Amino acid sequence: MSHLLPSPLPPFDRYLLSVMEKFVPASEREEWLLAWQSELWHKHHLARRTQFAFPAPDLTTGLIRDALWLWGDGWRRTFQGTATLCLAVLLSLFVLAAAAGLVLNGSWQSLASSLADQFKRFLVEVPLILFVTLAISPRRHTDQSATSRKLYWLKRQLFLGAKTSLTLLLMFLLSADLCQPMHAATPNVADFLQIFSFTILALVGLRWALHDHGQRCKQCLRSLASPTPIGRPSHNLLEWSGSELICKQGHGALSIPEMETSWCESSEWVSQSPSWDRVAST
Amino acid sequence: MSNPRLSHSAALILKALSLGYRYGFDVMEVTGLPSGTVYPALRRLERDALVASRWEPEEDAVASQRPARRYYEVTREGKAAALAATERYPLLAHLVPEKHA
Repeated sequence: MSHLLPSPLPPFDRYLLSVMEKFVPASEREEWLLAWQSELWHKHHLARRTQFAFPAPDLTTGLIRDALWLWGDGWRRTFQGTATLCLAVLLSLFVLAAAAGLVLNGSWQSLASSLADQFKRFLVEVPLILFVTLAISPRRHTDQSATSRKLYWLKRQLFLGAKTSLTLLLMFLLSADLCQPMHAATPNVADFLQIFSFTILALVGLRWALHDHGQRCKQCLRSLASPTPIGRPSHNLLEWSGSELICKQGHGALSIPEMETSWCESSEWVSQSPSWDRVAST
Repeated sequence: MSNPRLSHSAALILKALSLGYRYGFDVMEVTGLPSGTVYPALRRLERDALVASRWEPEEDAVASQRPARRYYEVTREGKAAALAATERYPLLAHLVPEKHA
């Protein structure tokens, strides 16, 4: 689509458009440019018509914010729910917790020496916490097509490993930061509180990590969306009831039963047949 | 589907569109909202499928010797949301006059 302007835009508007169009995702750039050329032209046309009646409203802020909104929305669509975003957020929180520890301790040397003993305890506590978390983990998922997807399985395990490690390290730093102020006065109480708070935080964190992992696409690792209740809970003995989540990329659906029964104990991941990929791509 | 909770500005813009104002500049003029509010709000409303946009037919624009505009129309979900917003903000109906053709 191309629109010819009856008269050219002022140089400032042309310059602003050329600068801001770089922020707009390529797929939407042409339409954005046409829409804004049209809006700006109409604004100047109105200004010429009503030169002395009232000033034409300024569109500069709208143009800039519109381009930035599209830029942000493009990033949101690209990264929302992805494994990369999840790990990046955890890493950012970890860096923040380390920075808070640095402020509380005063120097890197002091921080390292105060964490050294706690880290030894951390190495002992982690296997126990992992064991408890896995033992009380409520559901396991079955993948109907797991046999032919070794690469996806490996990707999932690597992501789970990275997420779990980051979560545990984050909780360790948080518990150390929480107890640091009382360490000088009552070291024994502070040590006890650090162990206690780390255990609680790590259990909650690991529980979240496993829950989050279970609700991700088994192929692309994005968070599943559109939870839909299916069946009636009052008919649980007669038919399946629960909720279903789908992968927005179309890789499959996860069915989670409302209640675990002898005939439906676990959630079930149903991959979309590869033949649908061809349909989706056309 | 439940109606999304709209901010006062978004509700005002949706109300203006439902009363026949069809493009960003027009909405800005009638609502008095700044351009930095109107255009991103239109994007959000379109993303939430409360409004849909289309280009004005080229021949109409050429006949009027001006570039074609991008028109916004309220969808069925948008009409329901506008109705809910009017109940939530009762003065909304008085803020925007109906557009005369």
